[in-house]
Amino acid sequence: MTEIENRMLSDATFQAERAEVLKTWPSGGTVDFDAAVAVQAALPPEKRFALALAEADAEGRTLLQPRAGVALIREHEALLNGLSPYCDVLPTTIDAYTRHNRYAEAQEGIDRSRAAGTSLLNGFPAVNHGVDGCRRLVDALSKPVQVRHGTPDARLLAEITLAAGFSSFEGGGISYNIPYAKHVPLERSIRHWQYCDRLVGRFEEAGIRINREPFGPLTGTLVPPFVSHVVAIVEGLLALEQGVRCLTLGYGQAGNLAQDIAALRSLRRLANHYFLNAGFTDYKLTTVFHQWMGGFPEDEAQATAVICLGALVARQARATKIIVKTPHEAAGVPTLEANQAGLKATRQMVNMISDQNRVDSPDIQTEIDVIEAEVHAVMREILRLGRGDVARGIVQAFASGVMDVPFAPARANLGKLTPVRDNFGAIRLFDAGHVPLPDDVLAFHRDKIAERARAERREPSFNMVVDDVRAISASKLVGRPA
Amino acid sequence: MDEAARSYKIVLGVIGADCHAVGNRILTAVLTRGGIEVVNLGVMVSQEEFIEAAIAEDAGAILVSSIYGHGELDCQNFRARCEERGLGDIVLYVGGNLVIGKQDFATVEARFREMGFDRVFPPSVDLEQVIGLLRADIDARRPMALGHNSGRFVVEARA
Repeated sequence: MTEIENRMLSDATFQAERAEVLKTWPSGGTVDFDAAVAVQAALPPEKRFALALAEADAEGRTLLQPRAGVALIREHEALLNGLSPYCDVLPTTIDAYTRHNRYAEAQEGIDRSRAAGTSLLNGFPAVNHGVDGCRRLVDALSKPVQVRHGTPDARLLAEITLAAGFSSFEGGGISYNIPYAKHVPLERSIRHWQYCDRLVGRFEEAGIRINREPFGPLTGTLVPPFVSHVVAIVEGLLALEQGVRCLTLGYGQAGNLAQDIAALRSLRRLANHYFLNAGFTDYKLTTVFHQWMGGFPEDEAQATAVICLGALVARQARATKIIVKTPHEAAGVPTLEANQAGLKATRQMVNMISDQNRVDSPDIQTEIDVIEAEVHAVMREILRLGRGDVARGIVQAFASGVMDVPFAPARANLGKLTPVRDNFGAIRLFDAGHVPLPDDVLAFHRDKIAERARAERREPSFNMVVDDVRAISASKLVGRPA
Repeated sequence: MDEAARSYKIVLGVIGADCHAVGNRILTAVLTRGGIEVVNLGVMVSQEEFIEAAIAEDAGAILVSSIYGHGELDCQNFRARCEERGLGDIVLYVGGNLVIGKQDFATVEARFREMGFDRVFPPSVDLEQVIGLLRADIDARRPMALGHNSGRFVVEARA
């Protein structure tokens, strides 16, 4: 493979690659771009994701979206239609075999699920169901539907689902590699996602606006806001280059109110800053907030409290969309009823916060200042490493640890950066690894951690980090000694 | 062999297409702190990789994690594969969210016991308790080997 660069794929490159992609599983044979455009053009306005986001953004509303996916089409359709009255936009969560292009195993999962009379897969195997199967699903729904997954090479998945009328596609070459894969080289997943973005760009050029959403929360575990912001901004730049024009950038709840509000408010501003500086002006930017992505309490009432804290922050910071968790989170894939319960609790909280005034405090402003300083420092280094090319720069940044995601499984990630909570539960850096943050920012982190260490009368150590990872499922935010 | 010299070496990993890495890191940290030697294979580990590592490392136990719901599919015939490779007596634990959805744990436990796992744990299990069980189970299966011809001796002699 030639060295990665952030440049729009040429038509010839795209078409040659496309012919290969569509051959990787038999269902690829039925994909036709003109037919796909016709399917998208025929969607009524209430089933277009980009429109729902634009309207919510204009009216200052926050959309709710659950996660859901089961093995069989009819069951998945029933599940989504059962969720539809409680949410604004629909998901289709893809199963883990499909995410790793293991379609033969997905087929076995479909067959066994049929035999068992219940889904044995943790999501909807869209590639195996093919364009016709996916279209049957979209036709049976009355709201926009998005593909949500975790796929380093999602080219065939994108071809099939977009041809069937899905109008939003989650993921990115970094955010669907680092937290979701083990052996995939970063330049390869970025290149495969350039294809996905280019496909969306081609729809855009044909007059069809497909929404693209880089995956914000990454590993969902003590991720410092600047880390996920940098990934979101870089994936946004990569998508814009391929012709994507409707972007939703994400952030996963960290737990501390001031830090979470600051993170969401700074995300939009920072993204606009980098997008405008790269010469893009004609894009539509919205945000998505993910309720707590870490370990949940087993008790359903306690889990509901975690969900409500997320809803409060998301609404206070005016996120365009919330990805909603369920009281079954600790037990894995939820039932329809548990999913409805999470949506109802979130809706109640969003409604109660909606009429209230915007909360501002010096604490929030301090967090915004810190996040912005961190993002600028890392972005500067990424652009320096890539000699102005953000694709080249991000690959080198991960290789050298300039970018580092905590708790990530991918070999492409150094894993030296270690976060820990401060005395108020905000996420700080216990070890910055090789991330080039300014000295005053590093001193701020050190002071905040020292404050907690004094309060707990123990030295900061990895034990503190382990306690923090397990804290929320044990009903606290900060992992204090017993 | 005296108590202090006994080693407790285990192979740890997340099975199948599951890439949940956080619990894996926490397990490694807590088990190591508890005096267990952990060979951590990380995420997305196949049955073959577990078994080969257990043979190569002369491990006393295999700890299989699964959090994404495909545990039942991924763990089919695990004990039989161990037996084929001469690991019929190895201590086999499995833990996590092993099936799709919130199911009665006793039913899930019975199903995985039936599949040949010695112990089955929910995600909420107290890890200190797991360490105690692991030591006892490994000791119970330890072959009656004399010090001079044990695998451990060979490794030490080489070092």
